[in-house]
Amino acid sequence: MRKPGSVLKEMFENLGTRPVTILYPKEKVPIPEAFRGKIAIRDEKCIGCSKCAIVCPTQCITMVANEREVEVKGKTIVRKKKPEVELYMCIRCGLCEEYCPTDPKAIYLTNAFSGAGPDKEVVVK
Amino acid sequence: MTEVVVPIGPHHPALKEPVNFKVVADGETIVRLELDVSYNHRGIEKAAEQRDFVRVVPLLERVCGICSHSHTTVFVKGIEEAMKVQIPPRAQYIRTIVAELERIHSHLLWFGVAAHEIGFNTLFMWTWRDREAVQDMLEEMTGNRVNYGINEVGGVRRDLTPEQIQAALKRLPHLEDRIAKYRDMVNKEATMMIRFRGVGKLSKDDILKLGAVGPTARASGVDYDIRKDDPYIAYADVPWQVITDTHGDVYGRTLVRIGELQQSLQIVRYCLENLPAGPIKITTPRAAPRGEILSRYEAPRGELVHFIRTNNTDKVERLDIRTPTLANWTSVAVSLVHQNLADIPVIVAAIDPCLSCTSRITIVNERGKKTGEMTWDELSAHGREFYRKRGRA
Amino acid sequence: MDPILLAVYILLFPGFLFLLAYAFFFQFLDRKIAARMQARVGPPLLQPFADFVKMLGKEVIDVKGMDRKAFDAAPLLALAAVMTAFLYVPIVGNSPLAFQGDLILVLYLLTLPTIVLFLLGWLSRNVFATIGGVRAVTQMFIYEVPFFLALLTPALMAGSWSITDIVAWQQSHLWFAVLQPIGFVVALIGLQAKLERTPFDIPEAETEIVAGPWTELTGRRLAMMRLTMDVSMVVGSALVAALFLGGPRIPWTITPDWLSWIVGFGLFFVKTLGVLLVLASIKVATGRLRIDQLNDVGWKYLASAAILQVLIVLLMNYWWVSA
Repeated sequence: MRKPGSVLKEMFENLGTRPVTILYPKEKVPIPEAFRGKIAIRDEKCIGCSKCAIVCPTQCITMVANEREVEVKGKTIVRKKKPEVELYMCIRCGLCEEYCPTDPKAIYLTNAFSGAGPDKEVVVK
Repeated sequence: MTEVVVPIGPHHPALKEPVNFKVVADGETIVRLELDVSYNHRGIEKAAEQRDFVRVVPLLERVCGICSHSHTTVFVKGIEEAMKVQIPPRAQYIRTIVAELERIHSHLLWFGVAAHEIGFNTLFMWTWRDREAVQDMLEEMTGNRVNYGINEVGGVRRDLTPEQIQAALKRLPHLEDRIAKYRDMVNKEATMMIRFRGVGKLSKDDILKLGAVGPTARASGVDYDIRKDDPYIAYADVPWQVITDTHGDVYGRTLVRIGELQQSLQIVRYCLENLPAGPIKITTPRAAPRGEILSRYEAPRGELVHFIRTNNTDKVERLDIRTPTLANWTSVAVSLVHQNLADIPVIVAAIDPCLSCTSRITIVNERGKKTGEMTWDELSAHGREFYRKRGRA
Repeated sequence: MDPILLAVYILLFPGFLFLLAYAFFFQFLDRKIAARMQARVGPPLLQPFADFVKMLGKEVIDVKGMDRKAFDAAPLLALAAVMTAFLYVPIVGNSPLAFQGDLILVLYLLTLPTIVLFLLGWLSRNVFATIGGVRAVTQMFIYEVPFFLALLTPALMAGSWSITDIVAWQQSHLWFAVLQPIGFVVALIGLQAKLERTPFDIPEAETEIVAGPWTELTGRRLAMMRLTMDVSMVVGSALVAALFLGGPRIPWTITPDWLSWIVGFGLFFVKTLGVLLVLASIKVATGRLRIDQLNDVGWKYLASAAILQVLIVLLMNYWWVSA
């Protein structure tokens, strides 16, 4: 039998229970694995196809010239460019991760949620 | 007694977003008011014309924070209709689950804000605490608490794992219990009843004449819910009911929203338990064939309409957004006259205003550097003149 | 009384210094209890003091064309009034400044903050402040009659207009909270309205008129006015505790004099904190009324309850005298 809701009763019950506030940063906030957080790049996997730069809605990814040997599907190729992301323009939509053709993804979103900084032009390489 | 102009807005603690009511008050009674809703205009409709169908979805998500899934769903639904493709049933169910979770979190937010507007901060704190459970569910499923990014043309972007489904189902009983308690509190708590009953009353004829939509209309007995009248995604398969009420005042709108909360929880439970197997997206053509689509959706605040004109390219030619709040503003302006000054926040909060959704037009005189208003006839004449000069019929 | 002892009584303990410290403690407890009832954490112990010190250092913004001297003096006037009122309420034993009629003086001094709020609203040259000031005075007219009547019925039964005598009367008879329960309830509700707390925070309605008469108060003026409201809460609670709950006395006598004073002081704490708990619960459990609804509720229920209480007291007096 469900007990009827009452403001007074709940008020006094709350006096005896712990508050629901998570005392961040002393207590940790639980973050799910699939959270779309800060962007990161795996340099050794990127093949320089530029799909991420094309699909980004805010156009915050620029392809810079950077040569490197990468292993893809058992073969070694030389890629010509790699992405650089302006961190504070990224809206963390995850479209770059979805369209990246490599496996594991060369550009991906971590689940780091905090990350304020003083420099607006910071770039993730 | 002399009349005093009380400027409610654009900056005011009662408003979460800028809107300007120029209220002329005689003592505590409102004599007349003028409404200006153009403060949040960001040029989204124009920006949408320059982005292809993949890149325009995150833009449309950010029309509004609370109903972001509504805007993306109605848009991709319209594009899929233009392309004449059918998305797989699993994708439809996932879209429905996220849509109803968004409705739950929006109504709980509204409930807290309505309590805050009458000074009842306790209920504000409690409803927002319960809303955290919904936000956690959305975070686990879609990766973010706001702006879920789960829609794309052709389906959804993420799948639900069995663990996520079990975790979500575990949270539902607590929410159902809390909402039932809030329903009791609304019917018993003295100050809420005395501030909500009889305030902002609109009869069924008024609603039909002013064109109000959503819970505002359903509280006056108008049975108008797009999910039943024009079903989309999975609503035709799930058993649920439209909630209407006959009070017509703020109390009626509260009851309608609480009833919708309970229905949404039912829908979410049904969809989670009966999720069909299969793919979550299909490949769609790059360009949409020429056509004009009117796509409708029942957002938490009412009927949301996107008018999309496509022209065989991968971008829209014209996107026009008519949000439910825009339809409800006239009812506020009409029902506020002859009410108390103290009732302004209550009546405004009762339609659940979302100014970011509403501000789609602002008039600027570039040469004169003044702002002004146009009547309907002036606007039609201006439009005809504009296109005649550009060489179109 | 010895002049040096009198100076210590007024300035240190239980006078102004104790009053200020207790006012901060009261605000802390009020916010903490309200927060815990709402499932929040609430502020730490020194938060009200930190707020006060911070506000003293903030910039004072003057409205163009405002009477600056009057605006500066008004919060200080209100603060002085409530602090003076505290001296007549018995805290430890008797008040050395007691005289016949000090109850009337205390009630009068306690109304000064509301009048000052109206004055501030009028001087602010701001629409919201004027509306708030008018609402404050309207509210005062509504609750003041039942509040005064409820606080005067103990005086009627004890046969004296001095708070100290009323407290002494309760030591040999029952507490007035038991003898006059209706008056007790009306006094508590009237106290909540005087302090302008929910459901009676109509002049300060944040969501309707920004901050009412508080809108143009900044810096040290705001600090002084908030301190006035805190001190007002302490004085009001002490007054209700003295008139209805027997003040700092116990029904028995304890022989070492100093021990009875310490126990009495402890009781003063307990009783005022009890009143605070009731006031905080009322604040948390309700929403705000509209001014015309308060008019209804005030005259229909509060005033009639207070008048009923007065009639009962007159009848009881008649029976006791004739018995």
